[in-house]
Amino acid sequence: MSQTTPPAVPAGFGPLRIPGWAGFDPARPEGGGLRAHWRGFATAVRIGWATEANWTDPLLFFIYSVAKPVSAALILVVMLEVIGGASSREYRSFIVVGSALWAMVLSGVAGLAWSILEDRERYRMIKYVYVSPSIFLVVMTGRAVARVAVGAMGALITLAVGVVLLGVPFDPLRIDWLLLAIVTGLGLVAIVSIGVILGAIVMQTRQEAWSYPEAVAGALFLVSGAVFPLAVLPFAVQLVGLLTPLAWWIEGSRRALFPDGISSIGGPGSAWLELSGTVEPSNLVTVIALLVTGAAGTLAAGLAFRASERRAKDRGLLDQTTGS
Amino acid sequence: MSGQDAASSAAGRGPRPELFVGRAAASPQIAADWSRRRILLTDLRAVRGRAYPRINGLFREKSWVFFEILLPFLTTSAFVFVYRALQAPQEYIGFVVVGGAMTAFWLNVVWMMAAQLYWEKDQGNLELYFAAPMDLMSVLLGMALGGMVMSSSRAASVLVVASVVYGVTFEVDQWLLLIVVFGLTLSALYGLGMILASLFLMWGREAWHTTQLMVEPVYFVSGLNFPVARLGMLGALAVATIPLAVGLDAIRQLAFVGSDVALLPPLAEAGILVAMTAVFTLAARWSLRTLERRARIEGRLTMRWQ
Repeated sequence: MSQTTPPAVPAGFGPLRIPGWAGFDPARPEGGGLRAHWRGFATAVRIGWATEANWTDPLLFFIYSVAKPVSAALILVVMLEVIGGASSREYRSFIVVGSALWAMVLSGVAGLAWSILEDRERYRMIKYVYVSPSIFLVVMTGRAVARVAVGAMGALITLAVGVVLLGVPFDPLRIDWLLLAIVTGLGLVAIVSIGVILGAIVMQTRQEAWSYPEAVAGALFLVSGAVFPLAVLPFAVQLVGLLTPLAWWIEGSRRALFPDGISSIGGPGSAWLELSGTVEPSNLVTVIALLVTGAAGTLAAGLAFRASERRAKDRGLLDQTTGS
Repeated sequence: MSGQDAASSAAGRGPRPELFVGRAAASPQIAADWSRRRILLTDLRAVRGRAYPRINGLFREKSWVFFEILLPFLTTSAFVFVYRALQAPQEYIGFVVVGGAMTAFWLNVVWMMAAQLYWEKDQGNLELYFAAPMDLMSVLLGMALGGMVMSSSRAASVLVVASVVYGVTFEVDQWLLLIVVFGLTLSALYGLGMILASLFLMWGREAWHTTQLMVEPVYFVSGLNFPVARLGMLGALAVATIPLAVGLDAIRQLAFVGSDVALLPPLAEAGILVAMTAVFTLAARWSLRTLERRARIEGRLTMRWQ
């Protein structure tokens, strides 16, 4: 009796042969390298953007996105006008730039934490995201970046309103573009790092954690020199500010945009003056300080997120909703 | 004859009544025919029931207490330091502190009145509210009363802490008027919150974004950190429409005697607040009914996450 030879099927894959299936890809569980990470990141950014933006038409979304930062800047500008004084005009640039940049901080710091809470508590998708082949941190960072983009849009419009309507002097030829590019890149990394740390925290907490990012942002707002020079704070609080990358990022951005403007870190009565003996930090010192504090923050963020992820997995927190 | 009377007469003469929804009555129709007194008592129970978690839970969730005091305090501190950097008179620091305390009420109106029915929809409780035998206005009133008590404790904490830390001194001549204006401000604020709650009944994800829109822009036009009169026409418009703006302007005049940057005298502003309370409460009732009907027709009451 003759026996027909079956088609060649790799050992162990026979039962899985189904029409239209290209076969098992052994590389899949091992991950596809940088390209796959990039694909996961880009998809997360797209999803994040859609979640943020597709609830209404683009015009209304634009208005909603810029109303908050522009109003925050206007509050400060009116406060400035109410008091007036000789330094009013110079200080106006100071607060417009600070409040514009802060729109990005708010979005970036809250972005990742809120994405985790939303996916776990409201949409209840986090467990599915977690078991997908992408790296969890990469996906969640992608979601956060989408929020930073919304914040950046608000920041740009606030600056434009400041220049066009509020008389903030703007001379493209006087801007130190190289410094601006460097501090913006480093600053964005620092912002996302703080967001990652908060993401690690809210992974362990209940849904009341919605307010954590705003509380942290509020505390950082006080010590970052966003809308007033650090010199008005007590000495010890100024030292805390000098340890945060955001203070250096805002200082660097201001120095790039308005080279002769008021320094938020230095100046009379500042801790910087007392410690360094110089009136204000130079551009190089600002960049180095941003690099060092940002690197420390990024390292801490990576470690914190890893530890938090492991603990959440051990205790089943990824699959837990805590509706109140 | 009311349902209760019918039920008792039926119980006296006819066959033994059955229990319908916990009441001895001859039929479900009779059991469902409630007297006015019973309706009122049930609605009052609903008010108490909805206010209960907010009052009883005042200090239960420690993290809420911490953040609800910390957030307005941090924001207030930032503005205090802005004024200090500008070397503003101490009176302005007082303006910021009062404004910071009032933000506790506004945030409560935005997050726990306006957005509340939206959260309830997301968590699957809204259909239970509609299925319960009560007027939904009772739920809104309960939320408002509970919210007022809850926010008062937060606002008082912010006021005391910030006043001590930043050395604010109040000069009050007319305590009674100050208390009346404060009470009217709260009633107008929560009346507005009831209207917003009914609007949020219709909304999906836009509710979240709208709450964001109602914070800084409203702070700006209400003159949270500066006298609203400085905004000119925009300030006048805010005083005519936003209870926070008119309430703050009146409270500042009464708490810091001698401040000469007010838009209207306190009595006139108290009158505006009375009118706002009446209009907002009636408008909330109308809006709730209209939007509830529309939401039922469009099937939005149980639609989540859209």
